[in-house]
Amino acid sequence: MKKLKVYFCCGHETVVKRVYCPTCGTDGISEREVEDKGRIYSFTKIHVPPSEFAHLAPYYVALVQLDGTNAKVTARMTEDIAIGDKVELFNVEDGAYVYKKA
Amino acid sequence: MTTNTYIHGIGMTKFGTHVDRTLKELLLDASRQALEDAGRPKVDAVFVGNFLAGSMSNQEILGAIVANDLGLGFVPTAKVEGACASGGIALRQAVLAVMSGEHDTVLVAGVEKMKHAKTAEVTQAINAAMDTDSSEKSAGLTFPGFFGVLANRYFHETGASKKHLAMVALKNRENAMNNSLAQFTKETSLDEIMNARMITDPLGLFDCSPMTDGAAALVISRKPSGIHIKASSLVSGPTQMQDAADLLSIPAIGESGRHAYEKAGLGPEDIDVVEIHDCFSMTEMIAIEELGFFPRLEGWKAVEKGLTKASGEKPVNTSGGLLSRGHPIGATGLAQIYQLVRQLRGDAANQVEGARIALAQNLGGTGSYSAVHILERV
Ligand SMILES: [Zn+2]
Repeated sequence: MKKLKVYFCCGHETVVKRVYCPTCGTDGISEREVEDKGRIYSFTKIHVPPSEFAHLAPYYVALVQLDGTNAKVTARMTEDIAIGDKVELFNVEDGAYVYKKA
Repeated sequence: MTTNTYIHGIGMTKFGTHVDRTLKELLLDASRQALEDAGRPKVDAVFVGNFLAGSMSNQEILGAIVANDLGLGFVPTAKVEGACASGGIALRQAVLAVMSGEHDTVLVAGVEKMKHAKTAEVTQAINAAMDTDSSEKSAGLTFPGFFGVLANRYFHETGASKKHLAMVALKNRENAMNNSLAQFTKETSLDEIMNARMITDPLGLFDCSPMTDGAAALVISRKPSGIHIKASSLVSGPTQMQDAADLLSIPAIGESGRHAYEKAGLGPEDIDVVEIHDCFSMTEMIAIEELGFFPRLEGWKAVEKGLTKASGEKPVNTSGGLLSRGHPIGATGLAQIYQLVRQLRGDAANQVEGARIALAQNLGGTGSYSAVHILERV
């Protein structure tokens, strides 16, 4: 399965890549691969989507707390979920991380 | 540092559906009202706040249109974009223009026309305020969706529930019922709000600000008036949910509030009346915490006690807020100021007795921008 990358500097880890670190101001931001597994930190079920996602609705968008890092990733899911559920990356579709229950 | 800039005139169209009026007509109507309220001063510059006219009405050059059609002559003008904070940012640019010494008197106007399009098209256009080059936008997140994710976590970490969000929506509707310019003035109930159609769990129809047509405008000047702009602040914040250090904080709101309090030499306890950016009921909950009116993760308790009602100790959104006054995106930040000026003049809908210090907070994106203005009756 695909690995996710996180970017870290000054104790902060995130899946979002920056040019400079907002804390120390340098470009010394490191990256590492992390497990694609995690737990649902929070979620919503979207009933009213923008037109480009109309064919998928209703769908869930979840914020996943990744294992082994303090970074989180935003994922799309189709199963019913609750905060704390274990999930894992299933696929990357058109730039979106699609997760399934583990 | 305070601005030594004063508000001389205010104007606002009714918010709602304007089938028979063009974007330009709304913009000129609010601008004309503001100029006449100010006694028709000579205008040295124009700033227009707008977000969707390009994508949804194929209309740009709004600044030049205002100057031309109002016969203001060869004055500098500009359109300002900052998603839903476009109006607040336009006001700040006008204030800075006066503070710099370049201009004496500036017209600031905001406008949006949204009701002619379908909901999915508007949702799509509004999503331009997300980072298009992000996995998060590709996942199908929406603006209501962001606040739905936030709400579910807020419920998880506090004693709050959907009922507390409904109380926010009900309060703002009750305020709007007394505001003749508001979009929604029909009575509702906690029950109706709780059982309304789900938009993005747990947010239902009444938890989400509507699509709205409308415009608002102000005239500001270095010449003194009864309303001083005591502070103007603006910050940018995180542009993605997955990058937030703390999901239950919108740091742009907190930072813009701190900057404004510092410039004004005031604190949250000094504010008599507030207009905040309740694009969703959940946003108002977070904002009353971020602005220091109530402790973190305890905003829901204040709502439960009715402290944010017009009759409460910290009246929030006496206009009806975005939820019920309506949210014509580029006009919203100026409609907030319109209501607060009415409060300080003493003739507002849901008048707060003796209001002297007022605060407006205008949010763009999911926390990408936050503008705060503090007004003082002098
Ligand atoms: Zn660093």
